[in-house]
Amino acid sequence: MAGTARPRRRLGWVAFLFMAAGLGAALAQTGSTTQIFDPKTHKWINYDRKKARQYYAAHGQVPDAFRRQIVTFRTAEKPGTIIIDGNQHFLYLVLPGLKAVRYGIGVGRDGFGWAGIVRVGRMAEWPTWTPPAEMVARDPNAAKFAGGMPGGPDNPLGARALYLYQGDQDTIYRIHGTPEPWTIGLDVSSGCIRMNNDDIVDLHSQVQVGAKVVVLMQGAALYKGV
Amino acid sequence: MKAMLRGVCVTAVLFGGILQAHAADLVVAMPNWPSGQASANIIKVALEKSLKIDVEVEEMGTLIAFTGLDSGKVDVHPEVWRPNLDSVVQKYVTERGTVHLSPRSVSATQGLCVTQKTYDDYGIHDVADLKDPAKTKAFDTDGDGKGEIWIGAQGWSSTDIERIRAKSYGYAATMTLLEMPEEVGMSAVDAAVATDKPIVFYCYSPHHVFELHRIKQLSEPAFDGAKWNVVLPADDPMWLSKSDAPVAWKPSSFSVAYATSLSKRLPQVAKFLDNIDFSADEVTAMSYALEVERQDPATFAEQWVASHEDRVKAWMK
Repeated sequence: MAGTARPRRRLGWVAFLFMAAGLGAALAQTGSTTQIFDPKTHKWINYDRKKARQYYAAHGQVPDAFRRQIVTFRTAEKPGTIIIDGNQHFLYLVLPGLKAVRYGIGVGRDGFGWAGIVRVGRMAEWPTWTPPAEMVARDPNAAKFAGGMPGGPDNPLGARALYLYQGDQDTIYRIHGTPEPWTIGLDVSSGCIRMNNDDIVDLHSQVQVGAKVVVLMQGAALYKGV
Repeated sequence: MKAMLRGVCVTAVLFGGILQAHAADLVVAMPNWPSGQASANIIKVALEKSLKIDVEVEEMGTLIAFTGLDSGKVDVHPEVWRPNLDSVVQKYVTERGTVHLSPRSVSATQGLCVTQKTYDDYGIHDVADLKDPAKTKAFDTDGDGKGEIWIGAQGWSSTDIERIRAKSYGYAATMTLLEMPEEVGMSAVDAAVATDKPIVFYCYSPHHVFELHRIKQLSEPAFDGAKWNVVLPADDPMWLSKSDAPVAWKPSSFSVAYATSLSKRLPQVAKFLDNIDFSADEVTAMSYALEVERQDPATFAEQWVASHEDRVKAWMK
């Protein structure tokens, strides 16, 4: 919004999660990597892609903080509005009565890339994924689907996609599902917002086309308004 | 309303000018911010109820409203902010004498705010704290070691002035200054509160954010006209380097304005407008009711007038 191009910066935050079975979870941020507090060793361990996979394999779900939950959320935004906090890896769907549904999300390796106000322009169930040309050129696996990969359980867009528009223009950004639910809470995607399939189905069922989407400024190479 | 009036005009033409478009006794300009919408409707409801006159509320920008007040097409503006509109006041109130400002005003503030959590747990109390990298690191969300601060929306004159103040105080060097629409800035405050994260941001009051969250305004050196050297971008491309303002904003206020001619045409209305004395807390409550509770301005005004009969009666005296 300031009108000058600025370099993208790595998302910076630390999450600490007290995750011994049923003990609950908490989050904080002070550094540049995600970490989990291990209650057995009482040490912080990096919550990277490998650890996330191990956690998911052991528990069958993502850490507590990133699971869908109703939270108190005092805001002037009206119910039905989506607020995305890429820094903390949360997506809020505003509910009546100063509450919200909070979902865990995965965001881009370099952050979401922008901040601002957009809207849900259209939605799709089991959407087709078409890899971008540069991905087709460098990745033989993607090249197989140059003409579009049909929707299904292995499709990178997962069970649902919400296409984000500014006015009548598609921003090319989406909120979508994923066949890799362990990546929720990480910085892994190529710029979009990913949610596990149960969550994107839940969000899709509650959102109307035209819903306002506020992408916050925090973290996530946020300096270019769309 | 505009569509309806257009329809009436067409009908009048068809019938050879026999019919005339309905004209209200009083036209109140309604700004696009919530407290202005509430107070414009309160003025309408109170006057229609007490004086049995027909009042029309019409949404329009402040500069168009002043042109209307000057030409006689508009009678009232419920919230004229100063010092923001000092030049307009100078033109229409002081020089042309076509607009009258109520002697009563509501105090307003502008500055930098933090959440109570930030104030208590992170030691951010004064604007000078923002020059301390050890403290502002708490606001870093992008891993570059510098904290971020929302200084307002692009296009606001206050945003340019906040950039000048950041340079003058020195925290432009320790923090990244972010410009975004107000809804993004306020939603960021909502998210920070929901997760107990620290945040610092430009704020002005009366504003519903003070009702929605526990907010503290940072202390800073008092306004000093001799130190307030502000050049705006519209006046000079080198505005930032030529400006310096290491002090607080000048105390702000807003008041009701009306066409000077109203004193003769509807003297009771003029007296009523001069007597309106909303408090800052009432204005904040109006903002909260419309913006957070999503109350309809006209319905809110009906209820406000019904529950403040004594106040309205006092304004009539």
